[in-house]
Amino acid sequence: MTDEQTEKAYMHWLYQAAGMGSRGFLRGLEQLGTAQILYDTARKERLEAKVSARYQDKARKLQALAKSSEIKGILEEYERMLSRGISFVTVKEASYPRKLAQIGDAPYGLYYAGRLPVDEGRSIAVIGARNCTEYGRYMAKEFGTVLAQAGVQIISGMARGIDGIGQRAALDAGGYSLGVLGCGVDVCYPRENRDVYEQLLVKGGVCSEYPPGIEPRAVLFPPRNRIISGLCDGVLVIEAKGRSGTLITVDMALEQGREVYAVPGRVTDALSEGCNRLIRQGAQLVMSPEELLEDLQAGLTGYMNQSVIGRQPVLHLSGIRDKVFKILDFQPQSMERLQEAYRKAYGDSIAVPKLCYELLQLYAEGYVGQADGKYYFKKE
Amino acid sequence: MNCINFIVPMNPCPCGHYPDMARCRCAPYEVRRYLGRVSGPILDRIDICVEVEPLRFRDMIEKPAGESSAQIRERVLAARKMQSDRFAGTKLRFNTDMGVADVEKYCRLEEKERNYMERMFSVMHLSARGYHRILKVARTIADLEGSTGIREEHLAEAICYRYNGGQDI
Repeated sequence: MTDEQTEKAYMHWLYQAAGMGSRGFLRGLEQLGTAQILYDTARKERLEAKVSARYQDKARKLQALAKSSEIKGILEEYERMLSRGISFVTVKEASYPRKLAQIGDAPYGLYYAGRLPVDEGRSIAVIGARNCTEYGRYMAKEFGTVLAQAGVQIISGMARGIDGIGQRAALDAGGYSLGVLGCGVDVCYPRENRDVYEQLLVKGGVCSEYPPGIEPRAVLFPPRNRIISGLCDGVLVIEAKGRSGTLITVDMALEQGREVYAVPGRVTDALSEGCNRLIRQGAQLVMSPEELLEDLQAGLTGYMNQSVIGRQPVLHLSGIRDKVFKILDFQPQSMERLQEAYRKAYGDSIAVPKLCYELLQLYAEGYVGQADGKYYFKKE
Repeated sequence: MNCINFIVPMNPCPCGHYPDMARCRCAPYEVRRYLGRVSGPILDRIDICVEVEPLRFRDMIEKPAGESSAQIRERVLAARKMQSDRFAGTKLRFNTDMGVADVEKYCRLEEKERNYMERMFSVMHLSARGYHRILKVARTIADLEGSTGIREEHLAEAICYRYNGGQDI
């Protein structure tokens, strides 16, 4: 190991030994010398005498840990972590994300696998409800794809719903995405996003302020939201209920001076309430990824402002099939509701066999999807 | 020979509101797990699955549109008559009693309908058992309409009644 690596190994030990929420304490210790010097000091002298009154407990704890930690073990543990493809970077280093370093409570250390976003690049957090609607799913995919194609780095929490969908779309479009986790970077949570996690390791990155091996716990998630917004130029909210965890990230973003974008929805949709409220409070309403790109000035000029509607494929359907397709929604509907919608829209009824026949044709052609159970919805 | 009618209700998810995502509090995997409690082989033996929407106030106080039970009874009796004529001189009584060989004999498809089923077999990932059961249900739907031949729409309705799991979520 080079001297530099050795110092990082000590730094890593110090970060873990100090425990979570020790940013101020660690900043104070920096005045006393390198991590290696601190380790030696803690083993030989009384550390408490050298730190301010409020950190006495932490100093005592650190001292005890230093006395029970052998140099060999510290170095070995660090090397083992590196060999597993996990890196550690502290806020003091140049490779620490610049945007994140600027926020008030930037994590002192950051673990990551894959690679971190590029400082010069534009980054957007695509966030929203875990339990999203088909509309949200469609929008997350659309924004994730187009933004990533334009070179925007998509940052998110790899959560169920909007987060994971936006990130998956970005990766599928050949773009970069970073997952900010509320557990160790070697833990995949939620398990259903295993595919995203594995792709992130290869094509993007995952990061966390928590050491490897830490299992997800509810208390770990709110603090990680400040990292998501901190790494970005702006956050884009796709769908959120009136009271939603997503709005915590928005609050963080506003505190950090980040731009907030929101995709509007129908006033009657509970999952759009959060977005609509944000817009009323001054968030930027975006109807298409291009509008967001223009705002970011990500080098995209000379296109018309267009909403996503204009881009939906024009289907050449005719007769009853067209009429059936038009009553479908992103929201899955039962046969009964579809019959009702048909009656409302066209004034005449459609028999079940006919409706089944047209739905199956549309399904076979890929225009219609079927949700768990017998519910049908319009596909992207 | 079949002699039971197996009719069973089930909620769409643990909280009961799926797929109304504004009210449903279940995670997608919870919905899956809930529906997954009925095993595939059992589902494969259930011929007709329908989603029942919650009753709205309007539905309760207004007289429902459509056929009355008495009218439906007439149609059922007519369909039964068709079936007893069809199976005259055999041990069979109803469409449900048909075995694979009987299905081939009594649920013969014209070329157009056969091509349709060939396509749907792969689109809907049907099993061999599923295929035969669909033909029997389609035969009954045709009987209820008083149609001698099985048409595409009859097949489509029978296919739509089969539970094929959620595939697009």
